Amino acid sequence: MLQLERKKEENKDILRLIGEVDASNSILLDQSMQEILEQGATVLLIDGTELVYISSAGLGVFMSYLDDFSERGIRFAIFGLNEQVNEVFKILGLDRLIAIAPDLSTATRMTHES
Amino acid sequence: MIKTSTLPLGRISLLLAIVVWLALVLVDLVRIFGMLNNLDSGISEEVTWILEILFFIFVYLVYRHIFWKTRQSDFLTLIWRGVSTGLFAASAGLLTELIYYALGESKIGTDPFLKNVFYHINFAWTSAFLIATTLLWKHLILYQKNKQVVNQWQVFEFSMAGALLFVFFNHNNLDYSFLFGLVILLVISILLAVNLKWIPYLNFKEKWKTLLFLFLILLCAGFLFYRVLDSGNEGRVQINLTDNLFLMALFGFVFIYGLFSFLVTLFNLPTSSVFEQKLTEAINFQKLSQSIQPEESEEQVLDILLDSCISASFSDGAWIELNPKEQVQIKNPLRILDESTRAELTKLIPQEKQSWVYTSPTEIPQPQTIRLVHPNYKSALLVPLVVNKSILARIILIKEVKEGFNKEMMSIIGTFARQACISVENHRLLNQAIENERYQEELKIAQRVQKALLPLKLDHPDSFDICAYSNTADEVGGDYYDTYQVDENHFVLIMGDVSGKGTSAAFHMAQMKGVFQSLIQLGLRPAEFMKKANAALSKCLERNHFITASIFEIDVVNHTFCHARAGHIPTLWYKANENQAEFISVEGLGLGIVRNLTYKNHVQEKTFAYHSGDILVLLTDGILEGRKETGEQFGNDRLKKIVEANPQKTPIQLQQEIIESLHQFVGGDGMIDDDYSLLVVKFK
Repeated sequence: MLQLERKKEENKDILRLIGEVDASNSILLDQSMQEILEQGATVLLIDGTELVYISSAGLGVFMSYLDDFSERGIRFAIFGLNEQVNEVFKILGLDRLIAIAPDLSTATRMTHES
Repeated sequence: MIKTSTLPLGRISLLLAIVVWLALVLVDLVRIFGMLNNLDSGISEEVTWILEILFFIFVYLVYRHIFWKTRQSDFLTLIWRGVSTGLFAASAGLLTELIYYALGESKIGTDPFLKNVFYHINFAWTSAFLIATTLLWKHLILYQKNKQVVNQWQVFEFSMAGALLFVFFNHNNLDYSFLFGLVILLVISILLAVNLKWIPYLNFKEKWKTLLFLFLILLCAGFLFYRVLDSGNEGRVQINLTDNLFLMALFGFVFIYGLFSFLVTLFNLPTSSVFEQKLTEAINFQKLSQSIQPEESEEQVLDILLDSCISASFSDGAWIELNPKEQVQIKNPLRILDESTRAELTKLIPQEKQSWVYTSPTEIPQPQTIRLVHPNYKSALLVPLVVNKSILARIILIKEVKEGFNKEMMSIIGTFARQACISVENHRLLNQAIENERYQEELKIAQRVQKALLPLKLDHPDSFDICAYSNTADEVGGDYYDTYQVDENHFVLIMGDVSGKGTSAAFHMAQMKGVFQSLIQLGLRPAEFMKKANAALSKCLERNHFITASIFEIDVVNHTFCHARAGHIPTLWYKANENQAEFISVEGLGLGIVRNLTYKNHVQEKTFAYHSGDILVLLTDGILEGRKETGEQFGNDRLKKIVEANPQKTPIQLQQEIIESLHQFVGGDGMIDDDYSLLVVKFK
């Protein structure tokens, strides 16, 4: 089960993931990201505080946008991941490519710096 | 008309009936002789009665047998049987009259014995006619019988049996008890006579024939009854066989039911076309409801439906319009009308009613009437055909009269349409099921092919043991492992995992194998191997797919292994001299994530020295992420503890231990929603 909540704060688009991202619902995540991008977001933050589990298919979604983000100069960060999910990002090495922050303020700071 | 039957039962009854009749004639002649000459013949009248009853019984058996044999015949054939017997009986009567008319007052003409013989012949034919017709009526009354009617009939039969024996009680007198019995039997006859369910099933022509036949039966019955009364009244016979309650009651019954049938058939004549129409509708309905045979098509169903709708509504024209989105073609969409009239009429139908979109999603569109302003056609009925929540087609029925479609027509047409739609839907579902079956077959093949992609035999030297296990979440999966002997002393272990699962993962897994098998030939160092693999796979993986991999190059002489990891689950290494296991930490990004040359910054390799008894457990994330119902994952620690607790076990034992623990952990309601693989190496 995955629930997606979108929020806009100043210039930031925040997408909150609630539940699990797996092969069956990663398409929903993909659609949301696509929409946000089409609406011309400049800063996209993923709120993972309530993300329980993410499968490789879910990681694939983030990965597939990395090039788009750098091409369009969109600043992207993920914050609030629990230990288990954070580990998944780390093992795959995505922490080297994506800004992963403990909380929203850190994430905001990180995206301002870059 | 008595048919000799092939079965002995019928023949025996017939023979016995004749014998009894002859005996009756003989006995009565002797008795008359005694009466005329005032002699005591020594034969009491009871003998006559007993023979008479026996005769009735045998005739009944003969006819019962005949009717049993022909019980499947149609009504007309059965009624004809009654008519023909009646005609025989009546002609026998007529002939007797004629003979006596010719003989006049001559000696033979007044001879009491000859008279008696003729009387007996007529008695026999009359009885045969009455019994045959009664059995015929029984057959008609019990058509579509229910319990109540069967009970009524049984009461009637018992009463008739009583009437048969009545003669012993009242000694052939026309007293009050006789009349009382007769009234009771006639009342029962009238009650039975309302069972006329067979009549509506006759078509118009058959009804006319039935009327004729019934008329003949009534005529014969009337004539024979007149003769019976006549012979009784005039006292022409000394022994009266026909003033018998049984026979009289039969006359009553035959006449009453014959009359009722005649009248009801007559009054049913004008409405018979309605019943025929309903019957046609029922047949059409059946045609539609039969699921489409494989060789038939949806078009044929629509064809039948169109014809059925026209015949049910007496339309003066019709056509069918197919939803352009549906891939159905119908050869002849027009009925009675021509193309130009249709175009004219189409313009008269409001645009919103010609839409192919549902107006309200919850309600299935129903047939609706439309008033037309056209010189020839005044009303139309639109019948939408809804299959699988979309409008497949629309039938338009046209009539020359205003408000030509009544409620009943609309309801029957609605039913037709629904039934046709169900047929089409079933047909489609069946085809889908066949298609699915085919896919299942294809998947089985895919499964077999993919299993073959994994090595049957793992290359390894004597200096270490190895075993591997792989399972998929779906029919096919994206996990891969292999071993390769570089040279005498160098062996490569490799494990890979495509992101996601199922068919797409399986295709990428096949590509991964191709890439790995080619690169492995080049004798590359692990980090270099990963760089080349990333470059190759970046060109063939879909954008949102990546692969994680682990590679080990084992040097069995120096007891070292060089390891690189590309985003893969870290390998568990049990060190025998320390009695503990740890996950080897080497940095490395998954393959296909960074699709350019910068990947080289994201991968590293490290060389480690191993010792005898050390164990390596390569795995994919499916194992660690196996989850209980509560959501708890199998996790690193559990795996580590299992290995630490079983260092003495052989690789295959250890592997079994891990898989069993995993299944136990996950339990019946938990899940392993990913492919999971395991490669266990133990150094000697």
